[in-house]
Amino acid sequence: MSSTVEARTRTTATRPGVALPPRPSRRGQTAATAVVGVVLLVATATLDVEWADLRDLPAAVRDYGTLMFADPDWSRLPRALFEMWRSISMAWLGAMLCVVVSIPLGMLAAHGVGPAWLRLALRGLFAVIRAVPEVIIALVLLTVTGLTPFTGALALGIAGIGTQGKWTYETIETLRDGAADAVRAAGGGRTAVIRWALWPAALPTLLSFALYRFEINIRMSAVLGLVGAGGIGSMLANYTNYRAWDTVGMLLIVVVATTMAVDAVSGALRRRIMEGT
Amino acid sequence: MSGTTAEPAARFEVPPRPRTWPRRALIVSALAAFTVATCLPAIGGVEIDLGAIARNWRHGAANLSALLQPNWAFFPRTVQPMLETLQMAFVGAAIAAALSVPLTLWAARPTNPNILTRSAVRAVVNVFRAVPDLVWATILVAMVGVGALPGLLALVLFNVGIVVKLVSEAIDSAEHPYLEAARAGGATQHQINRTLALPQNLPLFLNQWLYALELNVRISAILGIVGAGGIGRLLDERFGFFAYGDVSVIILEILVVVLVIEAASNILRRRLA
Repeated sequence: MSSTVEARTRTTATRPGVALPPRPSRRGQTAATAVVGVVLLVATATLDVEWADLRDLPAAVRDYGTLMFADPDWSRLPRALFEMWRSISMAWLGAMLCVVVSIPLGMLAAHGVGPAWLRLALRGLFAVIRAVPEVIIALVLLTVTGLTPFTGALALGIAGIGTQGKWTYETIETLRDGAADAVRAAGGGRTAVIRWALWPAALPTLLSFALYRFEINIRMSAVLGLVGAGGIGSMLANYTNYRAWDTVGMLLIVVVATTMAVDAVSGALRRRIMEGT
Repeated sequence: MSGTTAEPAARFEVPPRPRTWPRRALIVSALAAFTVATCLPAIGGVEIDLGAIARNWRHGAANLSALLQPNWAFFPRTVQPMLETLQMAFVGAAIAAALSVPLTLWAARPTNPNILTRSAVRAVVNVFRAVPDLVWATILVAMVGVGALPGLLALVLFNVGIVVKLVSEAIDSAEHPYLEAARAGGATQHQINRTLALPQNLPLFLNQWLYALELNVRISAILGIVGAGGIGRLLDERFGFFAYGDVSVIILEILVVVLVIEAASNILRRRLA
């Protein structure tokens, strides 16, 4: 102990001229920051926004806030709850459809499960679906199934496949190889590996992601309602168009309360699933 | 010989399987009941109309094939709205990034020990996060009028909610020996946040800002549907005219832009990590 201290003092004492290493160059970082800053300034300056309108915003928020929340119109609450359940149904069925389709596809897209060509094709498909906004999928679908909640559920189901499939193969790929190797060593084929090694290990995570998809869909179903798929979103869009602010306020309260309640329940379930109780 | 090995084997029996099936049956039947309830139109559920698909799939097929024939002559008209969309996404993400720093530090326990202000900021952010993006846009359009401004405000509100939640939770769950050291050394909370917490968590922030930018490109592409500016308005208009060739160009453009942004932010993220 003391000898190391001595050695250390000796080296500093005998070599007083040891220079500090040069500071790492931050030129690249500075340049990147500058580029981002310039692009931001140009984008802000050329954006077609009347920034002066922002001055009226606080007053507008106060006025509309009073209109919406000072005396919300609770007489339409039953109707709102009916529509909210429709949105929840859309979200739930969409999540089920999405999970049922994306788990097998996502498994096949994982390394070491499906062949390489299939893996690449599926990953490409997931990337493309991820890039298309849900609303656009709904707009295409409604030419087949019309302006119905069913369209909304289908759109949510299809739109979610991109992300859900990605999560599935990422989950499978982060599993440890031990169980899969053991099944293979015992003579199991691809199906046996999936059934006895990958499936049981990945199930809690996949279930948790399924519930998370439901949470996301709750928000998205309100958005799809805005383009006419029915549910609370359609009701909200209608009453916003009528400028019936007291009803809009009530609807917003219903949306926020339901979303937070679903998040809380689903979050608690997810935690229990992941802790394995 | 065989007798001596058989005896202990008889004593060590395999433990009985735990009885999990009643619990499992309960969970499965609860899920089934919930699913059935979501399919009852009488109480607001979704009417599953597979017949409509069988009847109208030709419509869909025709539309899809129309969508697969992009009308490239329309492309020049989409450039300006697409630029506006990207501008909204970028400026919105930047404003949200600036706002998210103080709010996040307020909402995390190690950087704000005061339980009152912390819970207040958290509650407000949670409420804001519970309102879907396009719902914000709809209401803001009604409040400040049609244009890019309501879209921008909706993006900012939405981004602030995400960044504050994700980063403050990450700060909460990490260990912070250096913050404790600074506190033991007599630093004020402001000094701790400024010189330690912020630089330490900057990578987390950068990561979520990039994520917010990605989301914004996707959202701002459709904000125009409710009148909040960008390429969504053009998309809605062309869709209304059944000009599927034009719609196809717009969708392809959105797709390319989203994929490029995602790839770019993945590269950036790897460099930051």
